[in-house]
Amino acid sequence: MKVIIIDDEPPARRELRRLLADFSWMEIVGEAGNVAQAAAMIEALSPELIFLDIQMPGGSGFDLLAGLDHLPQVIFTTAHDEHAVRAFEVNALDYLLKPIDPARLTAALARVKNANAVRTPQPEAVLEQLFVRDGPRCWFVPLREVRLLTSEGNYVRLSWGKTQPLLGRALATLEQRLDSNRFFRANRRQIINLDFIENVELGVNGRLHVQLREGPEVEISRRQARLFKTQMGI
Amino acid sequence: MNSPDHPPPTGQSRTHILYWTLQLSGWGVYTLLRLYAAVAVLNLPWMRAAVELLLVDGAGLAFSHGLRNFARHHGWSALPLRGLTWRIVAAGLLLGTPLGIIIQLTDLSGLQGPLPGDYAPALVLPIQYLLNILNSAILLMIWLTIYFIVLAMRRHRSAELRQSELARALQLAELRLLKTQLNPHFLFNALNTVRSLIADDPSRAQSAVTRLANTLRYTLSSGQDELVTLAQELEIVADYLELESMRFEERLRVEYDVAPGAGVVYIPVMLLQTVVENAIKHGIAELPSGGVLRISAALRDDVLVLEVQNPRPPPAMRAAREGIGLRNADERLRLLFGARAGLDLDMSQPAIATARIRIPQHR
Repeated sequence: MKVIIIDDEPPARRELRRLLADFSWMEIVGEAGNVAQAAAMIEALSPELIFLDIQMPGGSGFDLLAGLDHLPQVIFTTAHDEHAVRAFEVNALDYLLKPIDPARLTAALARVKNANAVRTPQPEAVLEQLFVRDGPRCWFVPLREVRLLTSEGNYVRLSWGKTQPLLGRALATLEQRLDSNRFFRANRRQIINLDFIENVELGVNGRLHVQLREGPEVEISRRQARLFKTQMGI
Repeated sequence: MNSPDHPPPTGQSRTHILYWTLQLSGWGVYTLLRLYAAVAVLNLPWMRAAVELLLVDGAGLAFSHGLRNFARHHGWSALPLRGLTWRIVAAGLLLGTPLGIIIQLTDLSGLQGPLPGDYAPALVLPIQYLLNILNSAILLMIWLTIYFIVLAMRRHRSAELRQSELARALQLAELRLLKTQLNPHFLFNALNTVRSLIADDPSRAQSAVTRLANTLRYTLSSGQDELVTLAQELEIVADYLELESMRFEERLRVEYDVAPGAGVVYIPVMLLQTVVENAIKHGIAELPSGGVLRISAALRDDVLVLEVQNPRPPPAMRAAREGIGLRNADERLRLLFGARAGLDLDMSQPAIATARIRIPQHR
């Protein structure tokens, strides 16, 4: 499995490298010392797993993830960060405290191995999940569970279960990476998940009104309505 | 004024002095005014008027003093307003009567002047008595009112004083607590660094453990003493920075510029250490390429000036969270060394932050 170690302290990286030497199936393809380096490396090398230090110069580990298109599996590391650790526990994210206990590392890697087996390989261009941080809470959001994406200025509001986290990206850029079989642009501000449509009603002027399961009613604009009908074979 | 031979007045004797000052000056002014009125307006012989006035007002003073002792003895000052008010009125009337009678009886030279309006001759004397009594009653009531007002004001002042003393004691306790708090982030990172050195560079690992032990011991015992010499604190700062250098490698470079005489000056324990920790946490650690941490100390015009300079990221990247630690340091310096001491953060240069500590050497 391809791994990248991200930590701004060289001794910490060396230490982790030393520990990972015991796991022959771990292939360390790179090390990065700050967010910019890490982002570039992840895009270039497409690792399956990253070890990510929370506190880094010029941007935290969270900032890195929020900006990534392709999310690898993540194991967070930190020497001591009460807030982060609490966030991890609440959201069942995997983390290790430095100095890393080899026993805990083994357990974490076993989990990674299992999770990898379950994951269905996706074609490169399509986004499967997003890392979203909303104040103290953070999630890995599987996009197939998001029923609605709404543009709010330069941000996107996701409707996912009972939460409405905000994503720091523009809707237009996000749209290109979404699975077009699943997501449909309803109007200028909204993208809907076709799997969540409960029913469709005809509106005035050729518009359509779509009721989303657990979600609001969304209006499909006239222009998009034509596309919708074609796509759905109506 | 405060010397071994002249101890400062205690609270009780100060009250005493204040009371008698007010009493004598109050009655004195009252007497003089009436004397003036008697001589200038009523054209009475001043000697005689003076003697009589002194007698009468002396009686007034005696009565008011007696009232005051009575009120004190019976704890009137603890009463609610209503209870106090009717007591004042009652006391005024009760004591105003004998006082008024005394005044009437001593008034042989017509101090009072003629009665307003015309009355039947038989009524004149009783009315005069009545007026004197009322006058005296009101006088005593006014006196008592003033007394209780002054009392209330003094109570309020001393309560405020106690309040600020308590606040100050609490602050000192809090600062003491803050001083002895370990920095867990530093601790665990240092341990991780040491562990990595054990395999790569065992002798360096050993010296790192020694430095770590020194730093921790210093932190833990810093609750005991308030002051240490600059030289002592610098030893620990050096150990700490050595450890941090191992973590950051070439991202941290340290420069010292300590004037020869500065080492013996006393500074608050853990003050410089806290400022340096801050400089690392908010400065070096936040910059991908790190920079130079510069520590300088010099005596300028009998003031010790300690500076810690570090590079900082542009303000857009991080909100300045330097607040609490440095504000506490500033507070500590003022508490220990007075208003001329302090810590201020100079961010006037674009990418640099300078924490400047000033400790005047003599008050």
